Amino acid sequence: MSNKVAIIASNGGLFDAYKVFNIATAAAASEKEVAIFFTFEGLNLIHKQGMYALPMPAGAEHYAEGFAKANVPAISQLVEMAQELGVKFIACQMTMDVMGLTTEDFIDGIEVGGAVTFLEFAKDAAPSLTF
Amino acid sequence: MKSNLHLDAKGLSCPMPIVKTKKAIDTLASGEILEVQVTDKGSLADIPAWAKAGGHAILDKCEEAGVITFFIQKA
Repeated sequence: MSNKVAIIASNGGLFDAYKVFNIATAAAASEKEVAIFFTFEGLNLIHKQGMYALPMPAGAEHYAEGFAKANVPAISQLVEMAQELGVKFIACQMTMDVMGLTTEDFIDGIEVGGAVTFLEFAKDAAPSLTF
Repeated sequence: MKSNLHLDAKGLSCPMPIVKTKKAIDTLASGEILEVQVTDKGSLADIPAWAKAGGHAILDKCEEAGVITFFIQKA
């Protein structure tokens, strides 16, 4: 049985962030080794400023109230939890180059890598998830 | 039932009850018992699934006035 969970985060909205970090923290808390590969808009989720201003899908703004009522943790809190639980964050070098971003633009403790870095981790992971 | 540690995770939503439970059980020794209280309905399925993944035993579970209490023995 695989003890690894591999996640690709390729979208940059608030809902995407919850999908990625909820699964990642839950897996890490269940003794799984977890890595997330952040690519394209997914880089927003670990961007120092961007992660505090993730957009809701158009027309879904009214869910803000539901988030507050359900006492859902802030994304920054989930990111901190994930890192504390040992989740590995890999930022996609190619997308960073395209977007003109450097490691300075991201939260501390991330790695930068390419597709092969992720594939090497994911080759014996189950499940592998894409958001 | 007696427990070695009590965790109040009431009012928290997924995945925080699991994250807090994991952190709490890390502080216990094998065989010791953690008592967790949650109000998140998803935890009814999640806590047993989490316990199974780590080999921990759910000794008891009760639900009263919307508060679910688990007694978990560390593997």
